[in-house]
Amino acid sequence: MPEWIIIILRSLTLIALLFFMVKWLGTKQLSQLNIFETISGIVLGGIAAIHTIDPNTNFAHAAIAMIIWFIVPYGVEKIALKSKSFRNFTQGKSTVFIQDGKIMEDNLKKEGYSTDDLLEKLRDKNIFLASDVEFAVLEPTGSLNVLPKRENLPLTAKDLGITLSPTKEPQTVVMDGKVLLESLANLSLNPNWLETELDKRNIAIENVFLAQADNDGQLFIDLFDDQIAVPAPTEKPLLLATMKKCQADLELFKLATENPESKSLYDRNSKKIQQAIDLISPYLK
Amino acid sequence: MTVGSQVKGCYSSIKSIEASLEILANKVQDEKAKQAFNQVEHIISDVKQDLHYQVIEISKQEPQY
Repeated sequence: MPEWIIIILRSLTLIALLFFMVKWLGTKQLSQLNIFETISGIVLGGIAAIHTIDPNTNFAHAAIAMIIWFIVPYGVEKIALKSKSFRNFTQGKSTVFIQDGKIMEDNLKKEGYSTDDLLEKLRDKNIFLASDVEFAVLEPTGSLNVLPKRENLPLTAKDLGITLSPTKEPQTVVMDGKVLLESLANLSLNPNWLETELDKRNIAIENVFLAQADNDGQLFIDLFDDQIAVPAPTEKPLLLATMKKCQADLELFKLATENPESKSLYDRNSKKIQQAIDLISPYLK
Repeated sequence: MTVGSQVKGCYSSIKSIEASLEILANKVQDEKAKQAFNQVEHIISDVKQDLHYQVIEISKQEPQY
């Protein structure tokens, strides 16, 4: 067999082998490589490279070496899933750098971090004052995670005591003019609903580049033809506005009438609607 | 517009609100939101009944309508 055919065959086998090994080792490796995993990845690649271009080497040796370098990290990973102490040993433990706003100098020294390194890591997190930090921990992967003091945390709806309506992930129901039935079904909607919604806005389905529906059944559309303005869904804002108008109307009637019975009736109902508005407005925004 | 027709207009708006709320309550997936919509729909239907009564009262008082 000429050498070039051998090289082609070897390359294809090794590519397939490497592909499956990387797949089985999992995507976790990509996001947080520790040193051991990095090295085993490089070695796997190296073995594949050497045996691809050199037809004189023994291919069985390549396969054995690759399998060993695959099985050991794979086994380590599986055992680490089961045992906490083994995990601490293979993946390392996180180190607390700042606790209760105080820098742990001993831990810094242990990890080989200088004060400059710590400050640099903090600046990475947009924190320029060490005293703004309540808690900071160095993860085994080498990234520093920081919990700023309460007053330095971004303001959330919870802090302000505002109720918000829960949101689920929106579904893409039309892509490139094609209806995606599965995502429609996820929202328990059907193509008829989509047709009606599009008809309401006078849009042909062929002209829809992208349409997404949220879990309240509101449809947001982008068209191929960018000259056409797409109206935003108005159902909910309209409902809220109508409720407010009715409440104002009742207030007016209350002022206009002279009959005390009617007055109290209008008053009572205006208050009821106000209560209804307060209840529902988070869901209508 | 007389008071009678104004109250009638308001009454029909209330009816439309009730219907919209019912549609939304059926459409919404989330349990909590569904509950909120149903609760508000109850309040609005109370208001609707009161207003209905008032509409009848006014039409009695303004017999020309």
